[in-house]
Amino acid sequence: MVVTSQLRTGSVFKVGNDALVVQKILGQKTGRAGTVTRFRVKNIVTGQTSDVACDSGEKFESVDLDIFQMKLSYIDGETYVFMEQETFEQYELTKDDLGDNAGYISADDDYPIEITFYDGKPVGVTPPILVERTITYCEPGVKGDTSGKTFKPATLDTGIEVAVPLFCEIGTRIKLDTRDGTFAERVK
Amino acid sequence: MDIDILCKVVDNFGDIGVAYRLARSLSELGNPPRLRLVVDDFASFAALDPEVDASAPSQTLHGWELYRWGGAGAARAKEAFLAKRPRIVIECFACGRPDWLEDILFDPLVEEPSLIVDLEHLTAEPYSVELHRMPSLTRSSLVRKAMFLPGFSAGTGGLILDGSFERARELSSSEAGRLALRRRALARLGPAIGGTAGAEAIDLETAFWVPVFSYERDYTRVVADLAAFARSRGTLALAAAGRSAGCFRRAWSEAGEPFPLVDLPFLPQEAWDEVLAACDFSIVRGEDSWSRAALAGRPFLWQAYPQEGKHQLVKVRAFLDRLRPHFGSEGSASGAAFAALRDLYLAFNDRDRDGADTRGGESLLPVLGLYPELLSGFGEFSASLGGARDLGADLVTFLREIW
Repeated sequence: MVVTSQLRTGSVFKVGNDALVVQKILGQKTGRAGTVTRFRVKNIVTGQTSDVACDSGEKFESVDLDIFQMKLSYIDGETYVFMEQETFEQYELTKDDLGDNAGYISADDDYPIEITFYDGKPVGVTPPILVERTITYCEPGVKGDTSGKTFKPATLDTGIEVAVPLFCEIGTRIKLDTRDGTFAERVK
Repeated sequence: MDIDILCKVVDNFGDIGVAYRLARSLSELGNPPRLRLVVDDFASFAALDPEVDASAPSQTLHGWELYRWGGAGAARAKEAFLAKRPRIVIECFACGRPDWLEDILFDPLVEEPSLIVDLEHLTAEPYSVELHRMPSLTRSSLVRKAMFLPGFSAGTGGLILDGSFERARELSSSEAGRLALRRRALARLGPAIGGTAGAEAIDLETAFWVPVFSYERDYTRVVADLAAFARSRGTLALAAAGRSAGCFRRAWSEAGEPFPLVDLPFLPQEAWDEVLAACDFSIVRGEDSWSRAALAGRPFLWQAYPQEGKHQLVKVRAFLDRLRPHFGSEGSASGAAFAALRDLYLAFNDRDRDGADTRGGESLLPVLGLYPELLSGFGEFSASLGGARDLGADLVTFLREIW
């Protein structure tokens, strides 16, 4: 069993006989009774996507999955092509399949990525918990502010926008926590 | 339509208060649904409704079947739910489901559909509109689930408008009606109230009534401001039974008992509703009393449940945002009343935890000094809610649409 609070982008779980993959976490709200999370989920078999909201205590059947380590070979428009490093076999996933994780990975990356297979078919990816990305745009850095407590928006080399501390500059290499997309640290 | 309402009592009487009010509201609808209630704390329920037998394993109450969540009484509940399977289940505040009900709902040998509705907490935050009526999931495709959110704005499920509260509100809209409500409340307190220190110096029926039902804190500042206010207007404080009563009385004693203070016994829900409708200014907490105070149209201070990282302030600001349009521009007296109220709300709720030593920088006196403007703003806000949807009726409509 897996409970709602354990679900992340790329998690796969069952509703009846259908396997659903979490494509995006659309938002969370916290109340006295816990957290309600809004997900975009995709039915792996039918391909149908839907937005749902789940309270933190709901339990789901987990799914038997095969997981392989691969590298992102290249991106062709909306298609992400991954290569198995021993057999050189290639597998394609769409940007939608990757959901939020598409913003964390690039063909320039050197590290392997976990590709999740269900019934012989790739259905999602799990990047490492910490990934390195480069800031391509942000407002100028504030010298002397190294507290890391005040944030500003920054665009990364993958095109996504994240919040970074004021001391960051264009070109700064940062580490991101892929579980929630938050800034972890500046790469030294 | 058959509806089963689940309630776990987490914070004294707020959770059961909402569940009980919802049950009453649903039963007042035309062609009302048949209700079964599963509650984990009959004693709290009995405090709100004296007809509840806190020791019974199960019982019939107002035409509803009432069962215990766990313990020995749960066997009877399971038997009843196996005999008549649950079709529509309302989970109050994501309270989850007892194991025996989980087994029934997700029995792999049964192919009957059922529907669970997660009735969430009241909030003024915009997400109440986003989440309201959103589909949810369970592990079975036969057990569908959906979200239902109360709220203060269109696009939410609204607030519960039960007949008893609506009658009290209607009565309180005239001075004569308000006096009648006050006489009834005073009669409930009995002759002992006459012996309360300072009571002889004011007219209890027409005094400025301030019921206090909040969490533990140091009430020194609140009492000092009420004392200053009481010098020009006869004031009666009513300490509701529960967490704030002792702290409030301590501060009042230390201040030299500057106005009459009455300790209210624990009141049944309908009697407490009447106090809120008849008062002048209330200090309320949680959800059920918050929603009643908002509907009553009398000025009030809301104390939100403390959350990690002072997240309660987000909820308080969201509520203030809902109130703001009902007050005038910044330069006006009405705008000044709102500014004082905003400062009071934020200072009173700025805390990490509740305790007898919890202090804040709240100032009640500037708010009370602009009472007419405050009354007008809250009255307008209440009127805006009067046109809101009745949560019970809206819930049944929703169930008919998706069932």
